[in-house]
Amino acid sequence: MALLKYLSNIIRTVGTTNSVPRRYLCLLSEKPKSEIKFISDNKHGLESTSEDLSTVTPYYPQTYNLAAYVNNSEFLQNLVHLNVNLSKLEKKPNVVEKILKLNFNDIKKHILFINDFVNEEKLGSYLTKNPLILCESLQDLEVRIHYLQSKHFSQHQISRIIEHNPFWLMFSTQRIDKRLGYYQKKFDLSGDEVRYLATKQPRLITYNLHHVTTNTFVIKEEMGFEGSEIKKLLLDKPRLWMMNQKALLERFNFIHNTMKIPHSTLLLHPEVLFCRSFKMKQRYLFLQKLGRAQFDPKKENYVPITSLAEGTDVDFCKMYAKCNISDFNVFLKTL
Amino acid sequence: MVNFRNAAAAYKSLNGLICVYKPPCVPIKQVQHTIKTNLCRDLNELPDRPREQRVEIVGATNEPMTVKLVPNYADDPLVCGPRYIHEDIRCSWATHLGLFSSGVLLLGINEGTKLTYLINTSRLTRAYKIQGQFGKATDTYFWNGKTVERAAYGHVTREKIDAVVAHMQAAHQKAMYELSGLHMESQATYEMASEGLIRPANSKLPVIYGIKCVHFESPNFTLEVQAVNEYDKYLWTLVHDLGMQLRTSAHCTGVQCIRQGKFDLDVALLRKHWQLEHIVDNMDRCRRILEEHQNLMKPESARLSM
Repeated sequence: MALLKYLSNIIRTVGTTNSVPRRYLCLLSEKPKSEIKFISDNKHGLESTSEDLSTVTPYYPQTYNLAAYVNNSEFLQNLVHLNVNLSKLEKKPNVVEKILKLNFNDIKKHILFINDFVNEEKLGSYLTKNPLILCESLQDLEVRIHYLQSKHFSQHQISRIIEHNPFWLMFSTQRIDKRLGYYQKKFDLSGDEVRYLATKQPRLITYNLHHVTTNTFVIKEEMGFEGSEIKKLLLDKPRLWMMNQKALLERFNFIHNTMKIPHSTLLLHPEVLFCRSFKMKQRYLFLQKLGRAQFDPKKENYVPITSLAEGTDVDFCKMYAKCNISDFNVFLKTL
Repeated sequence: MVNFRNAAAAYKSLNGLICVYKPPCVPIKQVQHTIKTNLCRDLNELPDRPREQRVEIVGATNEPMTVKLVPNYADDPLVCGPRYIHEDIRCSWATHLGLFSSGVLLLGINEGTKLTYLINTSRLTRAYKIQGQFGKATDTYFWNGKTVERAAYGHVTREKIDAVVAHMQAAHQKAMYELSGLHMESQATYEMASEGLIRPANSKLPVIYGIKCVHFESPNFTLEVQAVNEYDKYLWTLVHDLGMQLRTSAHCTGVQCIRQGKFDLDVALLRKHWQLEHIVDNMDRCRRILEEHQNLMKPESARLSM
């Protein structure tokens, strides 16, 4: 609604005393192609005129999407050329309101600035995810980059951070500093490790800290990992801290309590926690049915735990279950 | 496998019935959602139609104006969103399958939603495999409930189960005649009964046509049940009743639908195969089954068709 209000503000009625008001829409922030000429107040609207009326455009209907405006707005067209997904932008009306007030000349510098860190192919998805970066002041953005440089992030690391976390530059240096400090203190990391973590999973740094604390609780208290093991997990698979706690615990429960996989093995292959539980479950039950569920590397017929999580079913059957894929499919229809 | 030239052709062919294998602990709504999402994803990946052109008449109005053909930005998938979205695909199920049940599930896609209505009203028999366990009774009659009773089950033998199960089937046979909607002592009922089994007249009460024990390994057992109008909770109570009549207690550990009408597990599509090509393939198979058995959809008499 805010968008409509804004648009109605910029709709100016060309003053005629006619009963049918002619309206002129100076769309968005672009300048009209020529100055509005007031049509000399003729008594009848139907009188023919020799004046140029091409600047008199029809009244724009109210709309809920940007597609209605895109053909008339060079600004929006330029965003499309940059591969920005406008259909995703329009889902957030407050964002659209701010974006439409911009002029392409204003944001040129922003785009060139971002392009220093982000590949051209990824620029579109970057701006789709965080269009509001175009409203930030350029000085602020530079300060935030300088902050990273002052913390001895290499140029390569900085571009990786900016590219993988579109929201990083929205955070003020104080907030980023606080958050880096939080991770350093909470997990007892050294300077290099903090830099490594921020580069490996930049989204974790700006993630909801409440979520991170609860996940730490799940991993430490409910799953029972030790302090140094947690640190290893964090540096190895930081995405664990961004997972849903319930799903994480459910997967761990299945792997640890049902499959009897000890913590030490799990620490070597934490990526199995990313695998959807139904996938692991069905492969595990199949191996068990075949009598091949043997996950101890010291005994014969060893099946690595990663085999349950990775690869296609065909590979799994060939390599570890040693059977035909159709047998596996028949088995799946008995679950 | 079918190879589609473009998305529009693929979308046009998506009309009909599919038969999927519903995994346990996945709600039927989620199955529907996953199938819609997968179809949209696959359709959007197929070659798209060319972008529309737009006629623009520009220039000053008091001079000769020029007509231009320019690409229409409003038609770009980046602007108007993906070509196929959830709302473009209608999907309905023929008969409901509970959250904890697994097995054959018939879904109608687009025009196929009419078929699911017909299948629902023609009341096809469904065959189930019901796993149960003796020794424990729960408040929900299912494994996830609270335990309310424990009992010894050493005295249960295969013969005893068979006897009780046969008795249950006989009791239901009587219910079948009552639910046929015919007067019990009429000639019409006699003639109908002499031809074989009868379908129930309404969809309210469950009717069981056959029930037998197919596997017994104390304390676990498996029943095979053919029924109409049944629902998952009813099947759980069946196991509970069996336990009671055997002087012990029992609860259900799993319900699997193995057949609905002529659609059996062979046709059912596994979760990993819920993709456009497999779904279209499966639709063809289902169409062939329906063509072979015309009376599945529009039964002419009250006789039970498979």
